[in-house]
Amino acid sequence: MRGSPVGQAVRGGVARRRVQTVVIGLVLLVSTGASVLALALVVDSSAPFDHSFTAQRGAHLAAVVDPARATPAELAATGRRPGVTAAAGPFGEVTIAPQIAHVAGANGFLPPMTLAGRATAGGPVDDIVLQSGHWAQRPGQLVLASNPSSNEQIGLPLGAKITVTGVPGRPTLTVVGLATSVTNSADGWVVPGEVARLRAPAEPAAVQMLYRFRSAGSAAAVRADAAVVSAALPAGAVTAVQSYLAVKMQETSRIGPFVPFLVAFGVIGVIMSVLIVANVVSAAVVAGYRRIGILKSIGFTPAQVVAAYTGQIAVPAVAGVLGGLALGLVLATLLLKQAANAYGVGALGVPVSVGVTVPVAMLGLVGVAALLPAARAGRLSAVQAIAAGRAPLAGHGYAAHRVLGRLRLPRPVTIGLAAPFARPARTAVTLAAVLLGAVAVTFAVGLSSSLSRVVTGLSQAAAQPVQIGLSSQNTFIMDAAQQRTVVAALRAQPGTRRYVAETDQQFAVAGLTGQHPLTAFRGASAWTGYPLISGHWYTGPGQADVSTGFLTLTGKAVGDTVTLSVGTRPMPVRIVGETFAGQGRGVSVITSWQTLDAANPGLAQPDQYDVGLRAGTSPAAYSQALGRTLGSRYMIFGNSRNSPVVTLMLGLIGTLTLLLAVVAGLGVLNTVVLNTRERVHDLGVFKAVGMTPRQTIAMVICWVAGTGLVAGLIAVPLGIALHHAVLPEMASSANLGLPASYLDVYHGAELAGLALAGMVIAVAGALLPAGWAARIRTATALRAE
Amino acid sequence: MNADITPDWSGGGGAADQPADPLIQLSDVTKRYEDDGQPALQEVNLTVAQGEAVAIMGPSGSGKSTLLNLIAGLDRPTTGTVTVAGQRIDRLSETGLARFRRQRIGMIFQFFNLLDDLTVADNVLLPAQLAGLSRRQARVRAGELLAALGIERHQDAYPGRLSGGERQRVAIARALVNRPALLLADEPTGALDTANGEEIGTLLRDLNASGHTLVLVTHNPDLAAHYASRTVEITDGRILRNENRHAAGQHAAPAGVPR
Repeated sequence: MRGSPVGQAVRGGVARRRVQTVVIGLVLLVSTGASVLALALVVDSSAPFDHSFTAQRGAHLAAVVDPARATPAELAATGRRPGVTAAAGPFGEVTIAPQIAHVAGANGFLPPMTLAGRATAGGPVDDIVLQSGHWAQRPGQLVLASNPSSNEQIGLPLGAKITVTGVPGRPTLTVVGLATSVTNSADGWVVPGEVARLRAPAEPAAVQMLYRFRSAGSAAAVRADAAVVSAALPAGAVTAVQSYLAVKMQETSRIGPFVPFLVAFGVIGVIMSVLIVANVVSAAVVAGYRRIGILKSIGFTPAQVVAAYTGQIAVPAVAGVLGGLALGLVLATLLLKQAANAYGVGALGVPVSVGVTVPVAMLGLVGVAALLPAARAGRLSAVQAIAAGRAPLAGHGYAAHRVLGRLRLPRPVTIGLAAPFARPARTAVTLAAVLLGAVAVTFAVGLSSSLSRVVTGLSQAAAQPVQIGLSSQNTFIMDAAQQRTVVAALRAQPGTRRYVAETDQQFAVAGLTGQHPLTAFRGASAWTGYPLISGHWYTGPGQADVSTGFLTLTGKAVGDTVTLSVGTRPMPVRIVGETFAGQGRGVSVITSWQTLDAANPGLAQPDQYDVGLRAGTSPAAYSQALGRTLGSRYMIFGNSRNSPVVTLMLGLIGTLTLLLAVVAGLGVLNTVVLNTRERVHDLGVFKAVGMTPRQTIAMVICWVAGTGLVAGLIAVPLGIALHHAVLPEMASSANLGLPASYLDVYHGAELAGLALAGMVIAVAGALLPAGWAARIRTATALRAE
Repeated sequence: MNADITPDWSGGGGAADQPADPLIQLSDVTKRYEDDGQPALQEVNLTVAQGEAVAIMGPSGSGKSTLLNLIAGLDRPTTGTVTVAGQRIDRLSETGLARFRRQRIGMIFQFFNLLDDLTVADNVLLPAQLAGLSRRQARVRAGELLAALGIERHQDAYPGRLSGGERQRVAIARALVNRPALLLADEPTGALDTANGEEIGTLLRDLNASGHTLVLVTHNPDLAAHYASRTVEITDGRILRNENRHAAGQHAAPAGVPR
């Protein structure tokens, strides 16, 4: 086609309409990039666990077996049982009591860790992903699980050393690698020969067997599979089993909150891209009608015209789509890497289906958008095509000029405001694109505000910015003398507004498995910053405030009475309020000192003081001063508002909003470029009769400012509605309820500002062509046809 | 014409007191559209006095429209100076040029250059509104002009519904709305039939008689002969002839002589 007339027409068109070519390329670049990013995140976020589980050949079942009751041959035979598709093990397993080497004080003690002996990370089941460092190659080396559930307890860097207490010789392990097991099969791994050396004298030996099954889609199926394995071994050989479904449930509560807003942004992005690409491409062909007429008049056939114009669009479109694919892959890979770390589900990549589907769909869309008007142009006679390529149909928008001309506004403004009525279809598409961009902005602003409140609410950092604990090697519990010391220091310290003693215990309750956090306060505590969703803060003994997750999972309601089990003692409480609290995966209880003391007197011992500060007191300076007074036996904590997951969410929200706003702005840019080209002669007339460059800019900006304003005004309620629909879904996915104040984040001035978001997008998109319109020489514009 | 179409000479560098002073002065003006291309105008010197009616003639591509554009401040010379009403317009910014055109120039084009989506009245009002006049004030002025030009019944019509002659009258009304001292007409009868052409020609002569300086670009020797007091002939960007047709009166002197 290079030397053919069609090829020449394509090259000529691309070169002649450089701005339009660049806009098509840019819109497709950003649209494709945003779509790849959004869809990759949506696809990966909707099933990251499954994705990682498949990629890492996760274990459907982890069984702990007593090696004294089952021989290696019997264990190996379980891998050949019906329904078992793969098995790994036996891996020696040991639970150790670790302490950080060379660290004195309470922080030196770490929670118990389960270690497995594995020669390599890979294998047919539970293919562990090494995140950093290397695998354990000899005794004394430890690879630490880097899953968040482990990190919350054991956050050690490479090179850190731990001492294994309770074992002869107190062996030391050095962290040489950090790795992720999708099914959390262990807290760490050592070489197989190391396990026996780390076992305490009284601890029985254990080995770990990992299985994958043909059918493991439900809890019942996994139970049946476990029964098959157990039956293949001597009675009592299997001492414990863990289903992957339990791990999946935990992971889902982390991932869930991402899904609703990513879906919302993804859907907005895809619709907007479709609208703008169709508008840009079809308008580019329509704008070329006159040239099409000329080509036909010199002998181009309809097929050649269609080929010339689809080719002219295809050049920037293909370049834009390929660039957008690369951009989207880079951004998605970066964000998914962060997301994978936050989710603790190992590596996440852009699904191949997204990398193929999005570019193909975009090019298909471009093809349809270009072919339809090009085919129409091909059917037109030369004279008709030339006529169709001229300015808007006579009569369109005249009434708008007439009405708006009567307003007491500068004439360039009223002329600009009336212009959209000349091209109603183009205006409608532009309005829709700006509307979606403004909805995204409104939604994102509300979501960011709500998430900030969520972080503040979860940390209680605003109410109690300082907390005091004990730096003891042996206990966190403060004795009476220590309590007196702390209280005296708090009373003497300028800036102290109020304080309360707190103890953190655990409870069990019928209907929920495991232990969950229980907090009791000694003294007035309503100020401690736990937001209430319903009911009231406890006011006396026997009352408790519980989290939304507690109510949801136990089926209780505010006003009900429930009996908790605290340290094996029953503790009946009446639920008086629903709190916004995220600890314990959304299941927690807060009560008074007297309530806990009545149920289990031995537990009512403070382990922490929460401190509220007077206005204007710096928490950092206060903590330093208090630390000097109390000395090294006490630890002063600054109550941080940081949340890595929320930070990641805010980053994603910001990135997606920016991309959508840029796409919307490019849509506007395209519209204004087209309008400017069509009305270049009119621009010359305006200038000839005395329109200044500033007036010209005002007029061109007003071509889309009114559309932007209308879009913004419509977008605000839509964005708020989206926010109100998505945020509760996010909270629900994390087992959280939401205080009404977390939804009610849009207020006066902010709303007014958001209503202008559409106009800001429109004005930003119009600035470039407005500047061009202002600079064009009057004589040149008047000569334009 | 009953309306006040007298040009506003105020602020014109004292020109009202010295009507014979040059209103337009081009000195050594060269205009090239491409750096290495043939100049559209080459070292042109021309002076037009206040109240003169000058016809610029020449074949297609001779540079006459370029000359008019330079006088109107629609384009800038490559070299040389253009002074109109005492102002060096080649030195003005784009904003300065726009203000200059509003106050000093009324432009009349061959193809009218009316804005199709504005009514006749709104077309006429536009320069006044751009200059900051209120809509009410501008409407009064436009009404007078439309009446004077005999097209007041069309004030709410759109230009597309008018005949060529009527459109050119609308364009003339628009050119006069800010009471400019200088009327520049580029082939004003080129798109009109003979009868309408004569009417427009007569109208331009009347305007000149009422004090407007008129610079007229035309192919039509009859138009130049009947309605201009001086003819400047351009070929290949150079002034070949600069001839005073009516040697009497204050308009008669051949004010611009090629140097």
